Amino acid sequence: MVLEDQVEGEYLVVCLRERRLDAVIAAGFREAMLERIELGQHKIVLDLSSVGFLDSSGLGAVVAVLKHLGQRGCLYLCGVTPAVMAVLRLTRMDRVFRTFPTRAAALAA
Amino acid sequence: MADDAILKLLVPATLPAARDATERLMALGQRFDEINRALYETAVMEWLVNIVKHSYVPADGGSIRLVAQAGPQELHLVIEDRGRGLSAKQFEAAASQIHFDPQVIADLPDSGMGLAILKSVMDSLLYEQQQGINRLIAVKRWSG
Repeated sequence: MVLEDQVEGEYLVVCLRERRLDAVIAAGFREAMLERIELGQHKIVLDLSSVGFLDSSGLGAVVAVLKHLGQRGCLYLCGVTPAVMAVLRLTRMDRVFRTFPTRAAALAA
Repeated sequence: MADDAILKLLVPATLPAARDATERLMALGQRFDEINRALYETAVMEWLVNIVKHSYVPADGGSIRLVAQAGPQELHLVIEDRGRGLSAKQFEAAASQIHFDPQVIADLPDSGMGLAILKSVMDSLLYEQQQGINRLIAVKRWSG
């Protein structure tokens, strides 16, 4: 699994360079993201522009990251593809996450 | 893909094999629009992951059989495994709708959504256990 980090002001932008965020990588993704939070990164933009497939395990991992952050910070999603947005809508998680078309839009929020 | 095209797969009950099977299955899903194709693939993955994680005892070497047939109106899929499976009651309970308050982050579900997704996506879903075989029959129309 490839995660690319970039610090943009007070935000950490994490880009998941995988076609699929699914049960195969969900646990590793979750642990890697929680590690970043424990290191003090509490404002995170997750760039999903490479991800064309999301299942409930992958979604659960993203939810777990949000829950771990709690009131300490924020988690924005950007570059959400139509396939990923369809799963967010089906599960009503589109009402939970703030999504942005681009990384720049998320950073300007 | 012509009507009545059939795909038969026998795969090991592992997560990478489940991923590979769903990707291969989607060769028959070309007639779905983009959104329904994505949701269909997710729904099938949910059931396969459920088998891998919950039906078979870990690392017991189980397998999963998939038979998909593209008809004129729909994609018909049968998935079988020989693990513990779910009772009909467990299946219905697990496949119930996802309930949460989007404003209460601490209570958001981070697991247990898979079968609800499966149920939401498919037009018809039948689950049965017969002679040691757990069988899911899922139908989704090409449109609508």
